[in-house]
Amino acid sequence: MADDIIRVESLRRDIEQDMRDPLRRRLLGRGGSPEYQDRDVFRSVDGLLRRVFDSPESYALLPEFLGPESDWRLQPDFRFTSHRRVGGPFVLFVKRRILLPLTRWLYDYTVDNFQRQDRFNGTLIACIEELAIENARLRRDLERLGQRLTPLAK
Amino acid sequence: MKLACVVQRFGADVTGGSERHCRVIAEQLAAHHDVTILTSCAQDYVTWRNVYPAGASRAGPVTVLRFPVLRQRNLERLADISQVVFTTESSPEEQERWFVENGPEVPQLVDHLREHGAEYDRILFWTYRYYQTFFGLPLVADRAILVPTAEEDPLIWVDIIDQLFSLPIGYLFLTPEEAELVRARSSRPLAPSTVIGFGVDPAPAHVTEVDLSAAGISDPFILYLGRIEPNKGCETLLEYFGEYLDSASAVNHVQLVMAGFPNMPIPSHPSIKCLGVVSDAMRETLLARARLLVVPSPFESLSIVLLEAWNQGLPALVNGRCAVLQGQVVRANGGLSYRYANEFAASLTYLLTHPDVARRLGQQGLAYIEQEYRWPHVMRKVEAFLTVSGPGAV
Repeated sequence: MADDIIRVESLRRDIEQDMRDPLRRRLLGRGGSPEYQDRDVFRSVDGLLRRVFDSPESYALLPEFLGPESDWRLQPDFRFTSHRRVGGPFVLFVKRRILLPLTRWLYDYTVDNFQRQDRFNGTLIACIEELAIENARLRRDLERLGQRLTPLAK
Repeated sequence: MKLACVVQRFGADVTGGSERHCRVIAEQLAAHHDVTILTSCAQDYVTWRNVYPAGASRAGPVTVLRFPVLRQRNLERLADISQVVFTTESSPEEQERWFVENGPEVPQLVDHLREHGAEYDRILFWTYRYYQTFFGLPLVADRAILVPTAEEDPLIWVDIIDQLFSLPIGYLFLTPEEAELVRARSSRPLAPSTVIGFGVDPAPAHVTEVDLSAAGISDPFILYLGRIEPNKGCETLLEYFGEYLDSASAVNHVQLVMAGFPNMPIPSHPSIKCLGVVSDAMRETLLARARLLVVPSPFESLSIVLLEAWNQGLPALVNGRCAVLQGQVVRANGGLSYRYANEFAASLTYLLTHPDVARRLGQQGLAYIEQEYRWPHVMRKVEAFLTVSGPGAV
């Protein structure tokens, strides 16, 4: 019978809920924010961060203020260019075939860290945007509530 | 119908998901059609070294035409061009060059398609990422069906792929997630497609079990099956499992058993058993005795090993960051998924401490296999697709 089916999505939600309290206690034990003593506050923060981490690329507004992507996006790759019209292809060939192999150790050493930093930055931007959305929602609700209360106060 | 199946490597002893998918689909198709495999002489995907003799041969119900690889793969050159193509705004020529370096470079196979392509009613190409598809498919696009086996990797976002994806008359996908990925990648509406998955025969009623204690394995253990390498998520799995063992919630004496070719160092730990490549009997025993199968891969177009586990009624614990694995598990209701170390630990503890629920999840996985992944069902979809698209379609 369909009713007998164990739905993995609801099972996962139950497991997430069971995980939350030990995690909260552990964070408090490690000197985490005292606000986490309130289970509801912790659940709200946990939910918000999960939303961000599950789709870190969903942010969109903040980068609009940063200007062209080429101005702020980390670019861990080497970009080979030459402004010379004559001999440009030869210069590029030397850069790619001689300089790149010679400096590959440096590239290998840094590229992982650049990529980690890029991922971290992206997630942080997504967090800020999610918090801004949350804040805007709360502000709107507060204003609506204020408008409803004003006639009562009169 | 006269069909050709084009694939980078072919043979019963060739490992690799797409190669295996091609082989078994071709063998199934041969029951009703004249099937020719067009492939290289290579056996391994690292060097593409010519191993099999060039020319025609028979492999069970199919004819195999092998073409020599012009030169072995140079990994340094491939790394150089990969860096250019995947991390910069590269030119179409550089992107084309990537396919040459990636290989297997089989110009005679491409010539065969150019000269004899019209003799086949349909030509099925396996995987979009190799030379034979990139250079061969455009020559026979009016009868080409692509089985892309696409994953969320950097190649799919390379500009020239959009052009390739606009050419075939049809697509056979392995999962709805793969179809969605290719659709999202294409700037034009995609040709007709169907999701076929992979066929699985019912598990044998009786398994002659191997003595696991001789290999130092005891209950409870969780199982990883497949190539042991970082790309398959094994590094993260080992890290998460190590953290799990150190946690207070860890179930006593639980072992992680890894069976497959090791392509990375495995830490020496009494709770981690690396068996290397195992016999079929050992594989069957492991699947029959494990508490669950863990699939940590971040990139998959279809996890065949997951289907095999469900075929035995074994629940799964999969990497939820992989859309395909997450989709498979949710559709089947056949296991749990994790994204972080603490979710891995909590899900693992839950499945180990709730054996009744775990068993039911495994049975739900088996029911899903019965419904979606038995050969008659899969081949009905393939056959229907072959007859409704392309030249001479009904």
